[in-house]
Amino acid sequence: MSAIIRLDIVLHETVDTAYRDLVTRPTGAAVRHRVITVLRDLPDDHAELDFSEVGVMDFSCADEVVAKLLVETFGLRFPRLRLRGVRDDHAEAIEFALARYDLVMVAILTSSPEPRLLGSAPEDWRAAFRTLTRLGRAAAPPVADLLAWPVERTTDALQGLASRHCVVQHPDATFELRAVA
Amino acid sequence: MTRVVPVPQHLDHLSLDQLAAGLGPWPPDERLLVDAHATEWASPAGFVALLTLGQAVAELGGPTPELALPATDGVASYWAKAGVLRHAEKLFQLHGKVPRRKVDETSDILLPLTIIRNAADVMEIVGRITEQATQILKHELGLESSVVVGFGQSLSEACQNIVEHAGTAGWVAVHVYVYRRRLSGRKVAVIAVSDAGIGFRKSLEATQSKRVGDRWGDAQALETALIHGISRFRDPGRGQGLTGIKRYLARWEGKISIRSGTARVAIVPAWDDEPPRVEGLPWFPGSQVTIVIPGKEPAS
Repeated sequence: MSAIIRLDIVLHETVDTAYRDLVTRPTGAAVRHRVITVLRDLPDDHAELDFSEVGVMDFSCADEVVAKLLVETFGLRFPRLRLRGVRDDHAEAIEFALARYDLVMVAILTSSPEPRLLGSAPEDWRAAFRTLTRLGRAAAPPVADLLAWPVERTTDALQGLASRHCVVQHPDATFELRAVA
Repeated sequence: MTRVVPVPQHLDHLSLDQLAAGLGPWPPDERLLVDAHATEWASPAGFVALLTLGQAVAELGGPTPELALPATDGVASYWAKAGVLRHAEKLFQLHGKVPRRKVDETSDILLPLTIIRNAADVMEIVGRITEQATQILKHELGLESSVVVGFGQSLSEACQNIVEHAGTAGWVAVHVYVYRRRLSGRKVAVIAVSDAGIGFRKSLEATQSKRVGDRWGDAQALETALIHGISRFRDPGRGQGLTGIKRYLARWEGKISIRSGTARVAIVPAWDDEPPRVEGLPWFPGSQVTIVIPGKEPAS
Protein backbone atom coordinates (compact mmCIF):
# COMPACT_ATOMS: atom_id res chain seq x y z
CA MET A 1 0.00 0.00 0.00
CA SER A 2 1.09 3.54 -0.66
CA ALA A 3 -0.05 6.57 1.27
CA ILE A 4 -0.18 10.07 -0.20
CA ILE A 5 0.90 12.96 1.99
CA ARG A 6 -0.21 16.32 0.62
CA LEU A 7 2.42 18.83 1.55
CA ASP A 8 0.09 21.81 1.19
CA ILE A 9 -2.13 20.29 3.87
CA VAL A 10 0.84 19.49 6.11
CA LEU A 11 2.02 23.09 5.68
CA HIS A 12 -1.30 24.49 6.87
CA GLU A 13 -1.46 22.01 9.75
CA THR A 14 2.00 23.11 10.83
CA VAL A 15 2.38 26.81 10.12
CA ASP A 16 -0.08 29.68 10.39
CA THR A 17 0.00 31.01 6.83
CA ALA A 18 -2.50 32.08 4.22
CA TYR A 19 -0.18 30.97 1.42
CA ARG A 20 0.86 27.63 -0.02
CA ASP A 21 4.55 28.33 -0.48
CA LEU A 22 7.19 26.15 1.10
CA VAL A 23 9.74 28.80 1.99
CA THR A 24 12.25 29.37 4.82
CA ARG A 25 14.21 26.85 6.84
CA PRO A 26 12.06 27.01 9.99
CA THR A 27 8.97 26.29 7.90
CA GLY A 28 10.71 23.43 6.13
CA ALA A 29 11.93 21.96 9.40
CA ALA A 30 8.44 22.17 10.93
CA VAL A 31 6.90 20.50 7.88
CA ARG A 32 9.57 17.76 7.95
CA HIS A 33 8.92 17.00 11.61
CA ARG A 34 5.20 16.75 10.91
CA VAL A 35 5.80 14.46 7.92
CA ILE A 36 8.03 12.22 10.03
CA THR A 37 5.26 11.92 12.62
CA VAL A 38 2.77 10.98 9.90
CA LEU A 39 5.17 8.47 8.34
CA ARG A 40 5.91 6.84 11.68
CA ASP A 41 2.22 6.01 12.12
CA LEU A 42 1.65 4.73 8.59
CA PRO A 43 1.03 1.02 8.06
CA ASP A 44 2.04 1.35 4.40
CA ASP A 45 5.29 0.23 2.79
CA HIS A 46 5.45 3.23 0.52
CA ALA A 47 4.51 6.87 0.81
CA GLU A 48 4.36 9.67 -1.70
CA LEU A 49 4.92 13.30 -0.87
CA ASP A 50 2.48 15.25 -3.03
CA PHE A 51 3.63 18.67 -4.23
CA SER A 52 0.76 19.31 -6.61
CA GLU A 53 -0.78 22.14 -4.55
CA VAL A 54 2.51 23.65 -3.37
CA GLY A 55 3.38 27.13 -4.69
CA VAL A 56 6.94 28.39 -4.54
CA MET A 57 9.49 26.14 -2.88
CA ASP A 58 12.85 27.74 -2.19
CA PHE A 59 16.21 25.97 -2.00
CA SER A 60 16.40 26.05 1.78
CA CYS A 61 12.98 24.49 2.14
CA ALA A 62 13.83 21.80 -0.41
CA ASP A 63 16.80 20.97 1.80
CA GLU A 64 14.72 20.88 4.98
CA VAL A 65 11.63 19.11 3.64
CA VAL A 66 13.11 16.60 1.20
CA ALA A 67 16.86 16.12 1.65
CA LYS A 68 16.93 16.18 5.44
CA LEU A 69 13.82 13.99 5.58
CA LEU A 70 15.63 11.39 3.53
CA VAL A 71 18.75 11.70 5.67
CA GLU A 72 16.78 11.35 8.90
CA THR A 73 14.64 8.39 7.82
CA PHE A 74 17.06 6.42 5.67
CA GLY A 75 17.80 2.98 7.12
CA LEU A 76 14.98 3.25 9.65
CA ARG A 77 11.72 1.31 9.46
CA PHE A 78 9.92 4.00 7.53
CA PRO A 79 7.92 3.72 4.31
CA ARG A 80 9.92 4.18 1.11
CA LEU A 81 9.43 7.72 -0.08
CA ARG A 82 8.70 9.04 -3.53
CA LEU A 83 7.58 12.42 -4.79
CA ARG A 84 4.61 13.33 -6.97
CA GLY A 85 3.01 16.45 -8.43
CA VAL A 86 6.47 18.00 -8.72
CA ARG A 87 6.73 21.05 -11.00
CA ASP A 88 9.93 21.79 -12.88
CA ASP A 89 10.89 24.56 -10.45
CA HIS A 90 10.28 22.26 -7.48
CA ALA A 91 12.37 19.58 -9.20
CA GLU A 92 15.27 21.94 -9.68
CA ALA A 93 15.32 22.94 -6.02
CA ILE A 94 14.94 19.32 -4.86
CA GLU A 95 17.60 18.01 -7.21
CA PHE A 96 20.01 20.67 -6.05
CA ALA A 97 19.30 19.90 -2.37
CA LEU A 98 19.63 16.11 -2.78
CA ALA A 99 22.88 16.40 -4.70
CA ARG A 100 24.52 18.17 -1.75
CA TYR A 101 24.12 14.94 0.26
CA ASP A 102 24.75 12.58 -2.66
CA LEU A 103 21.13 11.41 -2.40
CA VAL A 104 18.63 10.40 -5.06
CA MET A 105 14.85 9.95 -5.11
CA VAL A 106 12.13 8.91 -7.52
CA ALA A 107 9.68 11.60 -8.58
CA ILE A 108 6.74 12.03 -10.91
CA LEU A 109 6.80 15.47 -12.44
CA THR A 110 3.70 17.29 -13.60
CA SER A 111 5.35 17.69 -16.99
CA SER A 112 5.61 13.94 -17.66
CA PRO A 113 4.01 10.74 -16.37
CA GLU A 114 7.36 8.91 -16.53
CA PRO A 115 9.03 8.51 -13.14
CA ARG A 116 12.47 10.07 -13.02
CA LEU A 117 15.37 10.28 -10.65
CA LEU A 118 16.08 13.53 -8.85
CA GLY A 119 19.41 14.12 -7.19
CA SER A 120 22.78 12.52 -7.45
CA ALA A 121 22.91 9.33 -9.53
CA PRO A 122 25.51 7.94 -11.92
CA GLU A 123 24.46 7.80 -15.56
CA ASP A 124 24.38 3.98 -15.41
CA TRP A 125 21.73 4.16 -12.68
CA ARG A 126 19.67 6.60 -14.72
CA ALA A 127 19.83 4.42 -17.84
CA ALA A 128 18.93 1.27 -15.88
CA PHE A 129 16.10 3.13 -14.18
CA ARG A 130 14.62 4.30 -17.48
CA THR A 131 14.81 0.79 -18.89
CA LEU A 132 13.23 -0.81 -15.84
CA THR A 133 10.46 1.78 -16.08
CA ARG A 134 9.64 0.42 -19.52
CA LEU A 135 9.87 -3.23 -18.49
CA GLY A 136 8.06 -3.17 -15.17
CA ARG A 137 9.27 -6.00 -12.96
CA ALA A 138 12.40 -7.58 -14.44
CA ALA A 139 15.63 -9.35 -13.61
CA ALA A 140 18.96 -7.87 -14.66
CA PRO A 141 19.43 -9.89 -17.93
CA PRO A 142 16.47 -8.40 -19.88
CA VAL A 143 17.45 -4.94 -18.73
CA ALA A 144 21.01 -5.67 -19.84
CA ASP A 145 19.76 -6.87 -23.22
CA LEU A 146 17.90 -3.64 -23.85
CA LEU A 147 20.86 -1.55 -22.77
CA ALA A 148 23.38 -3.75 -24.60
CA TRP A 149 25.40 -3.92 -21.39
CA PRO A 150 27.02 -6.86 -19.60
CA VAL A 151 24.70 -8.34 -16.96
CA GLU A 152 27.20 -7.51 -14.21
CA ARG A 153 27.18 -3.81 -15.05
CA THR A 154 23.38 -3.84 -15.16
CA THR A 155 23.14 -5.67 -11.84
CA ASP A 156 25.47 -3.15 -10.23
CA ALA A 157 23.28 -0.28 -11.43
CA LEU A 158 20.03 -1.91 -10.33
CA GLN A 159 21.44 -2.84 -6.95
CA GLY A 160 22.70 0.71 -6.56
CA LEU A 161 19.17 1.95 -7.20
CA ALA A 162 17.78 -0.59 -4.74
CA SER A 163 20.29 0.48 -2.09
CA ARG A 164 18.87 4.03 -2.37
CA HIS A 165 15.26 2.76 -2.25
CA CYS A 166 14.61 3.93 -5.81
CA VAL A 167 13.61 0.42 -6.90
CA VAL A 168 12.57 -2.70 -5.01
CA GLN A 169 14.78 -5.78 -5.21
CA HIS A 170 12.74 -8.96 -4.79
CA PRO A 171 14.08 -12.25 -3.34
CA ASP A 172 13.84 -13.84 -6.81
CA ALA A 173 16.51 -11.38 -8.10
CA THR A 174 13.99 -9.27 -9.98
CA PHE A 175 13.72 -5.52 -9.64
CA GLU A 176 10.65 -3.32 -9.76
CA LEU A 177 9.60 0.28 -9.59
CA ARG A 178 6.51 0.59 -7.51
CA ALA A 179 3.73 2.34 -9.36
CA VAL A 180 3.76 5.93 -8.30
CA ALA A 181 1.37 7.49 -10.78
CA MET B 1 26.99 68.73 17.91
CA THR B 2 25.50 67.32 14.74
CA ARG B 3 27.29 65.64 11.86
CA VAL B 4 25.73 66.24 8.46
CA VAL B 5 25.71 63.12 6.25
CA PRO B 6 24.92 64.13 2.67
CA VAL B 7 22.73 61.78 0.65
CA PRO B 8 23.78 61.70 -3.04
CA GLN B 9 21.52 63.24 -5.63
CA HIS B 10 21.01 59.76 -7.04
CA LEU B 11 21.14 57.14 -4.31
CA ASP B 12 21.63 53.56 -5.42
CA HIS B 13 23.70 50.56 -4.34
CA LEU B 14 26.88 52.13 -5.76
CA SER B 15 26.45 55.75 -4.66
CA LEU B 16 25.73 54.36 -1.20
CA ASP B 17 29.54 54.58 -0.88
CA GLN B 18 29.22 58.39 -0.83
CA LEU B 19 26.64 58.20 1.95
CA ALA B 20 28.92 55.84 3.88
CA ALA B 21 31.86 58.22 3.42
CA GLY B 22 29.92 60.93 5.22
CA LEU B 23 29.31 58.85 8.33
CA GLY B 24 32.68 59.51 9.92
CA PRO B 25 33.79 57.39 12.85
CA TRP B 26 31.53 54.57 13.97
CA PRO B 27 29.82 54.49 16.40
CA PRO B 28 29.07 58.15 15.71
CA ASP B 29 30.17 60.52 18.42
CA GLU B 30 27.69 63.14 17.24
CA ARG B 31 24.04 63.18 16.33
CA LEU B 32 23.63 62.45 12.60
CA LEU B 33 21.67 64.61 10.20
CA VAL B 34 21.12 62.54 7.08
CA ASP B 35 20.59 65.23 4.50
CA ALA B 36 18.52 64.13 1.50
CA HIS B 37 17.16 67.58 0.65
CA ALA B 38 18.99 67.57 -2.71
CA THR B 39 18.23 63.94 -3.49
CA GLU B 40 16.23 63.54 -6.68
CA TRP B 41 16.08 59.80 -7.09
CA ALA B 42 16.69 56.72 -4.97
CA SER B 43 16.64 53.07 -5.93
CA PRO B 44 15.20 50.41 -3.63
CA ALA B 45 18.79 49.67 -2.60
CA GLY B 46 19.13 53.28 -1.49
CA PHE B 47 15.89 53.13 0.47
CA VAL B 48 16.74 49.97 2.39
CA ALA B 49 20.22 51.30 3.13
CA LEU B 50 18.85 54.54 4.58
CA LEU B 51 16.62 52.62 6.96
CA THR B 52 19.51 50.34 7.85
CA LEU B 53 21.49 53.38 8.88
CA GLY B 54 18.65 54.57 11.11
CA GLN B 55 18.27 51.10 12.58
CA ALA B 56 22.00 50.76 13.25
CA VAL B 57 22.03 54.01 15.22
CA ALA B 58 18.93 52.96 17.15
CA GLU B 59 20.50 49.61 18.04
CA LEU B 60 23.59 51.42 19.34
CA GLY B 61 21.33 53.45 21.59
CA GLY B 62 22.60 56.69 20.07
CA PRO B 63 20.59 59.88 19.70
CA THR B 64 17.81 59.57 17.11
CA PRO B 65 19.27 60.75 13.80
CA GLU B 66 17.56 63.40 11.75
CA LEU B 67 16.52 62.92 8.12
CA ALA B 68 16.03 65.95 5.90
CA LEU B 69 13.54 64.88 3.26
CA PRO B 70 13.99 65.62 -0.46
CA ALA B 71 12.96 69.16 -1.30
CA THR B 72 12.00 68.53 -4.91
CA ASP B 73 8.29 68.25 -5.53
CA GLY B 74 7.24 64.70 -6.01
CA VAL B 75 10.39 63.05 -4.66
CA ALA B 76 9.32 62.91 -1.01
CA SER B 77 5.90 61.92 -2.24
CA TYR B 78 7.48 58.98 -4.06
CA TRP B 79 9.33 58.04 -0.88
CA ALA B 80 5.98 57.92 0.89
CA LYS B 81 4.46 55.86 -1.93
CA ALA B 82 7.38 53.42 -1.70
CA GLY B 83 6.70 52.91 2.00
CA VAL B 84 9.95 54.53 3.13
CA LEU B 85 8.51 57.27 5.29
CA ARG B 86 6.21 55.10 7.40
CA HIS B 87 9.30 53.26 8.63
CA ALA B 88 11.69 56.21 8.56
CA GLU B 89 9.53 58.19 10.99
CA LYS B 90 10.18 55.51 13.61
CA LEU B 91 13.95 55.65 13.14
CA PHE B 92 14.60 59.29 12.26
CA GLN B 93 13.37 62.67 13.27
CA LEU B 94 12.02 63.83 9.92
CA HIS B 95 12.56 67.36 8.61
CA GLY B 96 10.74 68.88 5.69
CA LYS B 97 7.24 68.41 4.43
CA VAL B 98 6.12 64.86 5.15
CA PRO B 99 3.65 63.77 2.47
CA ARG B 100 0.79 61.65 3.77
CA ARG B 101 0.48 59.67 0.59
CA LYS B 102 -0.71 56.07 0.81
CA VAL B 103 1.73 53.28 0.14
CA ASP B 104 1.21 51.98 -3.39
CA GLU B 105 1.60 48.27 -4.08
CA THR B 106 0.13 48.11 -7.53
CA SER B 107 2.43 49.98 -9.87
CA ASP B 108 6.18 49.87 -10.36
CA ILE B 109 6.56 49.15 -6.67
CA LEU B 110 6.10 45.41 -6.46
CA LEU B 111 6.89 45.37 -2.77
CA PRO B 112 7.01 48.57 -0.73
CA LEU B 113 9.61 48.85 1.96
CA THR B 114 8.95 45.98 4.34
CA ILE B 115 10.64 44.90 7.52
CA ILE B 116 12.04 41.37 7.89
CA ARG B 117 12.24 40.13 11.47
CA ASN B 118 11.60 36.41 11.19
CA ALA B 119 10.64 33.51 8.94
CA ALA B 120 6.95 34.45 9.12
CA ASP B 121 7.78 37.83 7.58
CA VAL B 122 9.63 36.09 4.73
CA MET B 123 6.65 33.79 4.09
CA GLU B 124 4.33 36.78 3.98
CA ILE B 125 6.61 38.67 1.59
CA VAL B 126 6.98 35.75 -0.82
CA GLY B 127 3.25 35.01 -0.65
CA ARG B 128 2.32 38.62 -1.40
CA ILE B 129 4.75 38.88 -4.30
CA THR B 130 3.56 35.58 -5.74
CA GLU B 131 -0.09 36.57 -5.51
CA GLN B 132 0.08 40.24 -6.42
CA ALA B 133 3.12 40.81 -8.58
CA THR B 134 3.06 37.80 -10.85
CA GLN B 135 0.94 39.52 -13.49
CA ILE B 136 3.24 42.56 -13.53
CA LEU B 137 6.33 40.38 -13.85
CA LYS B 138 4.71 38.40 -16.66
CA HIS B 139 3.13 41.24 -18.61
CA GLU B 140 5.39 44.23 -18.02
CA LEU B 141 8.68 42.37 -18.00
CA GLY B 142 7.58 39.55 -20.27
CA LEU B 143 8.88 36.96 -17.85
CA GLU B 144 7.73 33.37 -18.24
CA SER B 145 6.09 31.56 -15.34
CA SER B 146 9.26 29.63 -14.53
CA VAL B 147 11.23 32.89 -14.29
CA VAL B 148 8.62 34.36 -11.98
CA VAL B 149 8.82 31.33 -9.69
CA GLY B 150 12.60 31.65 -9.62
CA PHE B 151 12.12 35.29 -8.71
CA GLY B 152 10.10 34.20 -5.66
CA GLN B 153 12.76 31.64 -4.72
CA SER B 154 15.51 34.26 -4.98
CA LEU B 155 13.54 36.80 -2.99
CA SER B 156 12.94 34.23 -0.29
CA GLU B 157 16.60 33.25 -0.04
CA ALA B 158 17.80 36.86 -0.01
CA CYS B 159 15.40 37.71 2.82
CA GLN B 160 16.27 34.57 4.75
CA ASN B 161 19.91 35.57 4.87
CA ILE B 162 18.83 38.26 7.31
CA VAL B 163 16.87 35.88 9.51
CA GLU B 164 19.62 33.26 9.46
CA HIS B 165 22.78 35.33 9.68
CA ALA B 166 22.29 39.00 10.53
CA GLY B 167 21.29 38.67 14.16
CA THR B 168 18.86 41.55 13.78
CA ALA B 169 16.01 42.74 11.58
CA GLY B 170 16.35 44.03 8.04
CA TRP B 171 14.50 45.56 5.13
CA VAL B 172 13.40 44.56 1.65
CA ALA B 173 11.92 46.42 -1.31
CA VAL B 174 11.16 45.28 -4.86
CA HIS B 175 10.68 47.75 -7.70
CA VAL B 176 10.39 47.61 -11.47
CA TYR B 177 12.01 50.26 -13.57
CA VAL B 178 13.61 50.92 -16.90
CA TYR B 179 17.35 50.61 -17.58
CA ARG B 180 17.64 53.08 -20.42
CA ARG B 181 21.42 53.22 -20.78
CA ARG B 182 22.56 49.78 -19.79
CA LEU B 183 19.75 47.73 -21.31
CA SER B 184 18.43 50.03 -24.03
CA GLY B 185 15.14 50.66 -22.32
CA ARG B 186 14.44 47.16 -21.06
CA LYS B 187 12.55 46.90 -17.81
CA VAL B 188 14.20 45.26 -14.82
CA ALA B 189 12.95 43.99 -11.49
CA VAL B 190 15.20 44.93 -8.59
CA ILE B 191 15.22 43.23 -5.22
CA ALA B 192 17.04 45.18 -2.52
CA VAL B 193 17.65 43.68 0.90
CA SER B 194 19.61 45.27 3.72
CA ASP B 195 20.21 44.64 7.38
CA ALA B 196 22.11 46.30 10.19
CA GLY B 197 23.50 43.00 11.42
CA ILE B 198 26.92 41.53 11.97
CA GLY B 199 27.92 41.40 8.29
CA PHE B 200 29.48 38.60 6.23
CA ARG B 201 32.97 38.86 7.71
CA LYS B 202 31.86 38.41 11.30
CA SER B 203 29.30 35.76 10.37
CA LEU B 204 31.92 33.58 8.68
CA GLU B 205 34.97 34.49 10.76
CA ALA B 206 34.87 31.63 13.27
CA THR B 207 34.81 28.92 10.61
CA GLN B 208 36.61 30.47 7.64
CA SER B 209 39.19 33.06 8.69
CA LYS B 210 41.91 30.55 9.64
CA ARG B 211 41.65 28.89 6.26
CA VAL B 212 42.25 32.18 4.51
CA GLY B 213 44.79 33.65 6.94
CA ASP B 214 46.02 37.21 6.47
CA ARG B 215 43.83 37.78 3.42
CA TRP B 216 40.70 37.48 5.57
CA GLY B 217 38.49 40.54 5.37
CA ASP B 218 35.12 41.79 4.11
CA ALA B 219 35.84 41.05 0.43
CA GLN B 220 37.16 37.57 1.17
CA ALA B 221 34.13 36.83 3.34
CA LEU B 222 31.77 37.97 0.59
CA GLU B 223 33.55 35.80 -1.97
CA THR B 224 33.48 32.84 0.41
CA ALA B 225 29.71 33.11 0.66
CA LEU B 226 28.76 34.27 -2.83
CA ILE B 227 31.35 32.66 -5.08
CA HIS B 228 32.10 29.50 -3.09
CA GLY B 229 28.66 28.97 -1.50
CA ILE B 230 30.10 28.45 1.98
CA SER B 231 28.02 29.15 5.06
CA ARG B 232 29.04 29.40 8.72
CA PHE B 233 27.12 26.18 9.37
CA ARG B 234 28.85 22.82 8.86
CA ASP B 235 25.59 21.28 7.66
CA PRO B 236 26.09 20.27 3.99
CA GLY B 237 22.61 21.58 3.19
CA ARG B 238 23.59 25.11 4.13
CA GLY B 239 24.90 27.72 1.72
CA GLN B 240 22.26 26.79 -0.85
CA GLY B 241 20.49 30.13 -0.80
CA LEU B 242 23.08 32.32 -2.47
CA THR B 243 24.15 29.45 -4.72
CA GLY B 244 20.56 28.99 -5.85
CA ILE B 245 20.16 32.71 -6.51
CA LYS B 246 23.40 32.67 -8.50
CA ARG B 247 22.24 29.78 -10.68
CA TYR B 248 18.94 31.51 -11.35
CA LEU B 249 20.61 34.79 -12.26
CA ALA B 250 23.14 33.08 -14.52
CA ARG B 251 20.29 31.60 -16.52
CA TRP B 252 18.41 34.89 -16.96
CA GLU B 253 21.33 37.33 -17.31
CA GLY B 254 20.66 38.72 -13.86
CA LYS B 255 23.04 40.43 -11.52
CA ILE B 256 23.78 40.23 -7.82
CA SER B 257 25.86 42.70 -5.88
CA ILE B 258 26.56 42.41 -2.16
CA ARG B 259 28.13 45.08 0.00
CA SER B 260 29.21 44.34 3.54
CA GLY B 261 31.48 46.42 5.75
CA THR B 262 34.12 47.90 3.46
CA ALA B 263 33.77 45.70 0.38
CA ARG B 264 31.41 44.90 -2.45
CA VAL B 265 31.42 41.75 -4.56
CA ALA B 266 29.23 41.28 -7.59
CA ILE B 267 28.45 38.69 -10.22
CA VAL B 268 28.12 40.85 -13.27
CA PRO B 269 26.36 39.94 -16.52
CA ALA B 270 27.62 41.13 -19.89
CA TRP B 271 25.24 44.11 -19.99
CA ASP B 272 26.70 45.74 -16.87
CA ASP B 273 30.11 47.09 -15.96
CA GLU B 274 30.13 47.02 -12.17
CA PRO B 275 33.53 45.87 -10.88
CA PRO B 276 33.27 42.31 -9.57
CA ARG B 277 35.24 43.07 -6.40
CA VAL B 278 35.90 46.36 -4.65
CA GLU B 279 37.73 46.72 -1.35
CA GLY B 280 38.56 49.66 0.88
CA LEU B 281 35.14 51.28 0.65
CA PRO B 282 33.90 53.54 3.41
CA TRP B 283 32.37 51.33 6.11
CA PHE B 284 28.59 50.95 6.25
CA PRO B 285 26.67 48.90 8.81
CA GLY B 286 25.45 45.37 8.07
CA SER B 287 25.00 43.91 4.61
CA GLN B 288 23.23 45.07 1.48
CA VAL B 289 22.14 42.72 -1.31
CA THR B 290 20.94 43.98 -4.68
CA ILE B 291 19.52 41.61 -7.28
CA VAL B 292 18.57 42.75 -10.79
CA ILE B 293 16.51 40.57 -13.12
CA PRO B 294 16.10 41.95 -16.65
CA GLY B 295 12.80 41.65 -18.43
CA LYS B 296 12.52 40.11 -21.85
CA GLU B 297 13.93 42.07 -24.76
CA PRO B 298 11.05 43.75 -26.55
CA ALA B 299 10.37 42.35 -30.00
CA SER B 300 11.86 44.70 -32.61
